[in-house]
Amino acid sequence: MSNLEYLLKRKQRIAAWSDRWQAEAARFADSHRDLLPKRITNAQLYGLGNVVRSARRYADIERFIRRQAEKAERTGRLDVQGYWNDLKDALRKLHDEAQALLKTLLSPRTSGREDLDMLHRELARLYVQHLIAHSLYWTPVKEESEQ
Amino acid sequence: MSEQSVQEVALRVALERAIARKSDEYDRRAREYADRLTSTKLDKTQVRGLETLASTTDKVSDITDWLKLRVGRDSKREGWAKDGVGRDLVTELEGLRRDARKIVDELRVGEGIALAYPVDPDLERQVHLRLCREFLKHLAAHFEYLKAEQER
Repeated sequence: MSNLEYLLKRKQRIAAWSDRWQAEAARFADSHRDLLPKRITNAQLYGLGNVVRSARRYADIERFIRRQAEKAERTGRLDVQGYWNDLKDALRKLHDEAQALLKTLLSPRTSGREDLDMLHRELARLYVQHLIAHSLYWTPVKEESEQ
Repeated sequence: MSEQSVQEVALRVALERAIARKSDEYDRRAREYADRLTSTKLDKTQVRGLETLASTTDKVSDITDWLKLRVGRDSKREGWAKDGVGRDLVTELEGLRRDARKIVDELRVGEGIALAYPVDPDLERQVHLRLCREFLKHLAAHFEYLKAEQER
């Protein structure tokens, strides 16, 4: 398989994964609906989106989420802490997804930890894109304007 | 040309025909959405933006995420959130998956094509994306036409 073929196949597999996992991210948003938009604000979600888009390593994303959870714990907002911990677990699980996807792509080059981390970050970015869209989608406008 | 290549070309032709047939069916429904959108504060740029996104992305979820975000941000309910038009459109586009499934299933069995060779497991998703593009292409065209009529 040429490099171009590999890149096209990778792109297609990621697109299929993203479409398949949109429902899963929506379920996560729905299961934490009671925290939106007052306990978990839109600004926090946008902040998460920015971090996920700009992270150079997956660890950067996890560090951001851990800090959010710690901040919530310090102020006694245990429900919010729970949200961030749940999200950390959900995104961490995508590591296995990235690993499985990499296995199906017979890379022309040796795929190392760098490739795996990059793919994990990409899947996390897509998951968070779905999460933010779905979180905002069902957020009652009235409550939002009361913020 | 090998037998497999011939079958692949036949499959492609049958697929294009089926998508074109569905596209023609969508025209009326797309016009209804365009009509509803003319009563919002949305302008041509925003509707064209959706059409452009659909024609350039390789994911159906990019299209529905885009719409969901705009519905969610429209706190005044004057744009995509007005009278539930954005939500209905999300449901409509997601529902096109059923048509995509039907098209692929019919190709598998009805046309007698590709029985001897495995069909791309991602085909249904790709057809779904094509159908979304077709629907939104009609919607954007009707919207521009109706908007121009309205402004005359």
